[in-house]
Amino acid sequence: MDEKKKVILKLEHISQSYVVNSQVKDAVEDVSLEVYDNEFLVILGPGHCGKTVLMNIIAGLEKPVGGAVYLDGEQVEGSDKRIGMVFQSLALMPWKTVMANVEFGPEVAGVPKEERRKTAQKYIDLVGLKGFEKSYPHELSGGMKQRVGIARAYTNNPEILLMDEPFGQLDAQTRYAMEEEVLRIWEKEKRTIIFVTNNIEEAVYLGDRIVLLSNCPAKVKEIYDLKNLARPRNTTDPEFLRIRTEISDNTDLAL
Amino acid sequence: MSKKKINIENMSAAEIREHRLNILYKVLPIISILLLIGLWLFASSLSSGFPSPGDVWERTVRLFTKPVKKMNLFGHIFASLQRIGLALLFDWTFGIAFGILIGWNRKAKAFFTPMFNAFRAVPPLAWIPLITLWFGIGEFPKVLIVIFGSLASIVVNVQAGMSNVEQIYLNVGTVFNTNSRQQLFKIAIPSALDAIFAGVRTSTSAAWMVVLAAEMLGADSGVGFLISRGMDSMDMPLVLTSMISIGIVGALLAIITQYAERLICPWTRRKKSF
Repeated sequence: MDEKKKVILKLEHISQSYVVNSQVKDAVEDVSLEVYDNEFLVILGPGHCGKTVLMNIIAGLEKPVGGAVYLDGEQVEGSDKRIGMVFQSLALMPWKTVMANVEFGPEVAGVPKEERRKTAQKYIDLVGLKGFEKSYPHELSGGMKQRVGIARAYTNNPEILLMDEPFGQLDAQTRYAMEEEVLRIWEKEKRTIIFVTNNIEEAVYLGDRIVLLSNCPAKVKEIYDLKNLARPRNTTDPEFLRIRTEISDNTDLAL
Repeated sequence: MSKKKINIENMSAAEIREHRLNILYKVLPIISILLLIGLWLFASSLSSGFPSPGDVWERTVRLFTKPVKKMNLFGHIFASLQRIGLALLFDWTFGIAFGILIGWNRKAKAFFTPMFNAFRAVPPLAWIPLITLWFGIGEFPKVLIVIFGSLASIVVNVQAGMSNVEQIYLNVGTVFNTNSRQQLFKIAIPSALDAIFAGVRTSTSAAWMVVLAAEMLGADSGVGFLISRGMDSMDMPLVLTSMISIGIVGALLAIITQYAERLICPWTRRKKSF
């Protein structure tokens, strides 16, 4: 357990600002971070502040004004096949069936139909959507849509999976169920997961480590190591509650 | 249906309410049609210039026994449909391609939009003198007028669909490393398909409206010709026969395009609305 952990992704002095109404607004300020291979890293932060921006930068959807992202020691420019993403919501293409959505990655990469079908089917089965391959997204519930999103990201076989508040719009019950799902899938198919949330309980339930971001502009405030909190975790366990309170006391309120 | 009626005593209150509403929704359109015919009968009894439903029916039958210009009613409808068919062929190829171009490419949009706006600000019928001068009164000028009258509606719809592609879908594409051709063909165009279909529908109905006007100004076939013939010979039953045919064909065209849309884009759950 205590052997040296391999760093797979490195953020170095990432900063991002925008010009809004002719005023410069800083969204992310000097964030440096090391992410270990196969860990479940949670990025926890208040309100609408910097978390999604950070994800977009790692995914190559936007360029930071300062700093760089390194994957396996090499600088990442733009999007990279080794980094996948589960989007906040509504990112399933409504004109595609579940199968067509899930196999989209390999399809645009030019993988032959038979081969990509096989991979897609594997992950559709893994997320528990067997039998829904031909359904359209509008026929699915919110939780099922997110499963499709997860299967789609896995099918491209990325080394790192970014999950940007994937369960933010689900109701509480479905959300708990999906948190368990995502852990089950992760235990089965180990990848490095970077999971963004604004929910402290979700963060403590899921994370190997939690990176706590400050209020705007986002800076790394504290990193919590939860390796010693045994899985499966129980949200009413005293140790769980102690960590939860500790993080809660340290969190900036975004009002 | 009949089974349900027998079991009405076993139905729950909610089912009975639903059942009654369904009956009402089926009866109301029938009442509406009957009311229209009633109004028509009443109006025709007031004035001899307004033919009765019986006169119109008789005239419709006579159109088959004694064709006008060697063509019965269906012949004339077909002649009109042929003209809009040719025009729509152009609309749905060039019009869609042009809409995609100016909806997707900002430079093309900046360049072509003023030109296109100037073109579409002119009503298609205003072109008739020039077109007649250049091309005479054959088939081609009529098709051209129909194109002028229907092209804008498809271009505008396609352009709107293409410039409103959700950024999130394009982001998904970027994360999966799509190239710009894939962004266009795998994401933007499919996501704009429902807007493209809206254009197909509106261009079809616009073409059907314009072809009648084009035919009323010099033609020897088509439903528009029948109307002007009826007007010239004070044959009001013929005018009404033509008007009703126009309505029925227009409604059928709307149903066909709607059906095609549901077949090609099964993910859009558009309700019947015509």
